[in-house]
Amino acid sequence: MNLLLWTLGVPLVTAALGSLGGSRRIREITMVGGLLATFALCVATALDFLGGAVPSAFDEALRVDGLSALVLVLCGFVGLLSGAYGVGYLRRNEERKIVTPRMRREFYGLIPAYVFAMLLVAMSNNLGILWIAVELTTLGSVFLITFHDKDTSLEAGWKFLVLGSLGLAFALLGTVLLFAAGQGHLGEGMAALNWTRFIEVASSLHPFTLRLGVVFALIGYGTKAGLAPMHTWKPDAYREAPSPAGVLMAVGMLNAAFYCLLRIHLISTAALGPEFSGDLLLGLGLFSVLIATPFILIQWNLKRLLAYSSIEHVGIMAVGIGLGGEAGAFGALLHMTYHSLAKPVAFFSAGTLGQLHSSSNFDRIGSGTFSRAPVASGLLVLATLMVTGSPPFGLFFSEMTILKAGFAGSHVRVTATFLAALVILFCGFIFQVGRLVLGPPRDPKDRRVPRPEQFDIATVTALVAGLVAIVSAFYLPGWMLGLIRAATRVLMGGA
Amino acid sequence: MTSHDLLILCAAGMLVSGYLIVGQKRLFTTIRLFALQSLLLGIVAATIAVTQSRHELFVTAGITIAMKSILIPWFLMRLIDRIGIHREIEPFLNVPVSLLVCLGLTVVGYRVSTGFPEAVGGARHHLIGVALSMLLIGMFLMVTRKKAITQILALLTVENAVFLVAVGVTPGMPLVVELGIAFDVIVAVLVLGIMVQRIVDRFDSMDVSRLSQLKG
Repeated sequence: MNLLLWTLGVPLVTAALGSLGGSRRIREITMVGGLLATFALCVATALDFLGGAVPSAFDEALRVDGLSALVLVLCGFVGLLSGAYGVGYLRRNEERKIVTPRMRREFYGLIPAYVFAMLLVAMSNNLGILWIAVELTTLGSVFLITFHDKDTSLEAGWKFLVLGSLGLAFALLGTVLLFAAGQGHLGEGMAALNWTRFIEVASSLHPFTLRLGVVFALIGYGTKAGLAPMHTWKPDAYREAPSPAGVLMAVGMLNAAFYCLLRIHLISTAALGPEFSGDLLLGLGLFSVLIATPFILIQWNLKRLLAYSSIEHVGIMAVGIGLGGEAGAFGALLHMTYHSLAKPVAFFSAGTLGQLHSSSNFDRIGSGTFSRAPVASGLLVLATLMVTGSPPFGLFFSEMTILKAGFAGSHVRVTATFLAALVILFCGFIFQVGRLVLGPPRDPKDRRVPRPEQFDIATVTALVAGLVAIVSAFYLPGWMLGLIRAATRVLMGGA
Repeated sequence: MTSHDLLILCAAGMLVSGYLIVGQKRLFTTIRLFALQSLLLGIVAATIAVTQSRHELFVTAGITIAMKSILIPWFLMRLIDRIGIHREIEPFLNVPVSLLVCLGLTVVGYRVSTGFPEAVGGARHHLIGVALSMLLIGMFLMVTRKKAITQILALLTVENAVFLVAVGVTPGMPLVVELGIAFDVIVAVLVLGIMVQRIVDRFDSMDVSRLSQLKG
């Protein structure tokens, strides 16, 4: 059977088994085992691609090129981390007796289902299927955001659902308009919506309809990626979602939505040249970075802080693509890779601190967490250094590559503004986390003294994620670098 | 009456029903108006299917009428009945001003539609103009209303606008994709309904302007 179908089938079966029931142990093993197999299949698909094959299925409705392969591997990895951490996360909540049977069913069912939807996004070559898969991630997210069933989570879920559905309606309109722009050239049947077909006939697409379609599609998928000014759902959603699901949204969904943006950008580039959609992405990206700055400085909640950091990072990637050229594209993809490795560490440590203190608000956590939860606090400091782009970690290199591309090109003033915002973000983020981790330990007579930190599977997962992120800064395996290069070639118009 | 006239009449009807939704405060009536709008969309698709012998559009018409003018309105009405809230409270903008804004939005929609390659003044031009106007009106409705149900209807109006573009401008989306999209829309409405139910259970109201704890 086709490798791609296996890669999609395994998480789907895992989700079905997880929502059926069974004892806790069986469900845990099923989920982690299923996600491990999924990750292995993603890597196998990527290696198959690097070996010279172009894995495809259903008349090229699913097709893996360099860009797809990179996103597949990253999403598969994040899915595995999220599942393994999630097992520990739910166990801790079981000890606190706040888990209902509904939560168990949703948790073990939705996380693999979410991974399935992300992988479907990453490998779909058909713009219609792409849209359907993104819609699936939206519907899955809603239940993950409202998981804890509090007033605030209902609010966050509702805002996300309404804004996300509106964005998706825009993306659908964009897809329809792109299809209309190629009238008479795209051919018949299912394959008419194939991305590869669009690239083939790019020169004969109707320019006005295409421009309108590209704008709608970029705004629509940009909403899902969390580009400002369509980012407002993000802080609420990240705060309310349980941390394992937060990781899936902050890394998996972000990568998947950014992947959609890149596909649309490539159609636009092939037909109209890189300026039209590139400038749009540059504008949205810069605006996202600038918007994130004040909110990080005044932030009062750890998970919302991470949400603004994620808005910043998707902005950085969009700026990299917008600045154009091979260096910009390579920088953006490198940034995507390192961000996917660093962000889970931040979410896992924030999740552990949040669980220990029953809240992720700064005033509830208090200062001096290092004396109470050394592992989680240490990982949080490590993650902070990584996501703010401090040397020697990977995000430093990718940000430098993007800045170099910017200063070498024609957008010098934009790049200078971008650099200034990055510096402020760096200081703001370090200040916030430093205030939390260091400082005097809490008064022992305080009645709200938290539970002690445990050493369980969630801690192990967080440590492994941290280790992988550190090692990746110094050594990326050859095939991973090959994937990033192959993805850059796709962005430069190659195969 | 030629098919050309029928198309323009239905498109105009859709636009008018959009205006009526904006001007209406009784939730049952707005849902019926939405059902009417979807029915007209189905007729547009069926008419194009007959005149241009694009038979796959019959499927689109069938799905639209079955789902959006029967199934979804029935579901929403049952939801309102169970909740027992029948009127929209005072919107952020009053009705006359809202209607004037919508008039402006229609002008913008028609202005943008002149850029399409289809002959200016033909039936297709009207379809695109109406669709873009409805898109803007739906977005306007979404930001100015407070009831969760009205926001769902606004979303569905935007979706109708997208489908009008799809039948009016394209040679018909591939069938598999169309079915997938239809399925997703119905699931989305179900999820929205579940969320409304949970919000009402929790807040004793579906006034979404009360959902304002999360800031910064």
